[in-house]
Amino acid sequence: MEDGNKKTEYGIRESRGSVFWKEFIKGLVVSNPVFILTLGLCPVLAVTNSIDNALGMGAGVIFVLFCSNIIISAVRRTIPPLVRIPVFIVIIATFVTILSLVFEAYIPPLHKSLGIYLSLIVVNCIILGRAEVFASKNSVLDSMADALGIGLGFTLALVIISLFREILGTGGLAVFGFDLFNIPVLAEHPMTFFISPPGAFLVIGLLLALFKWIGVIKGD
Amino acid sequence: MLERLKSKRLYPIVFLSLVVLISVSLLLWINSFTSAVVAAQTEAKIKSVLESIFPDLTSFQESGDIIIVYEGDNIAGYTFVAAGKGYGGPINILVGMNADYTLRDMEVLSHIETPGLGGKITEEPFTGQFAGLAADEIALSRDGGKIDAITGATISSRAVTEAIQGRMIEVIEILSGQG
Repeated sequence: MEDGNKKTEYGIRESRGSVFWKEFIKGLVVSNPVFILTLGLCPVLAVTNSIDNALGMGAGVIFVLFCSNIIISAVRRTIPPLVRIPVFIVIIATFVTILSLVFEAYIPPLHKSLGIYLSLIVVNCIILGRAEVFASKNSVLDSMADALGIGLGFTLALVIISLFREILGTGGLAVFGFDLFNIPVLAEHPMTFFISPPGAFLVIGLLLALFKWIGVIKGD
Repeated sequence: MLERLKSKRLYPIVFLSLVVLISVSLLLWINSFTSAVVAAQTEAKIKSVLESIFPDLTSFQESGDIIIVYEGDNIAGYTFVAAGKGYGGPINILVGMNADYTLRDMEVLSHIETPGLGGKITEEPFTGQFAGLAADEIALSRDGGKIDAITGATISSRAVTEAIQGRMIEVIEILSGQG
């Protein structure tokens, strides 16, 4: 596992700042949870039909991942290995429920449009994955960086996919109720296929292929 | 100290129970104030929706699942919820009906239709068509009514018209039964 490798090839410890930055930036591109690790694709397929939903879901995942990574890395030495997965899930589920309660009380429209997928963050394998692979083996600070990087990488992927789906599927783009633009002909005859689930598979498939292709060109 | 504790066979059970206990108490505590906010929101929403349909309402009275709206001493109209089944799932619609049994206004309370398609049942171009119609006119134009369906979302559009029409007829029967 290259995760948590805090030494350079000469065995000299890097400064705290650069380690934090490295853990943060890796989630955005090199190990982007959606395009590179292809984790958590179920909510990705479901909530990328509009950019509002993508942003709401992204914010939710960042919050849950950030909080659960902090708690799990803080108590990592006291968790009995035998019950570590149930402990992770209870911790994650607690934060998801808090998120759900808060969204319901203070942002009801978002709570309504995310529906069941908000609660399903509990079983999002990105979050459990980061708990098991990273937070249970690294310091609180590094786990925070990891959570922010992976969370933002996930959000970035959701936003990119939802941009394609919303623009092609509705012929325009609206963020939080504000119409940004409408494409003249497309708005009257939108390609509604892209809003539907098969459209999600197509967009994600093509984007995965694109990122793989870029990787091949760069010689990874 | 911790090492000795961790070697005990009961430690995993105690640890997990402790985590669950903390989790549950935290959630109960948070729920105790968010649930009040949610209840107040629902209450305020019903009131504001009633006011958007009947701006001059002075009081309202519930009769079964129909709300009778008064302006002074006169019955201004009735509101009730119509439930239909759309493309994505259940659709709940609040309907305001005039005292002469024509539709006054409608608002979609909840739905899980596809955003950008069936989701447009909440938008003005569709909802604006309903005002003033009698129950038998509330159907899609292709079914002989006066409502134009949303392009590409006939199932959602028909679910709304059928739910409103069906419930309106039921409510009118109940009301005329009471004399």
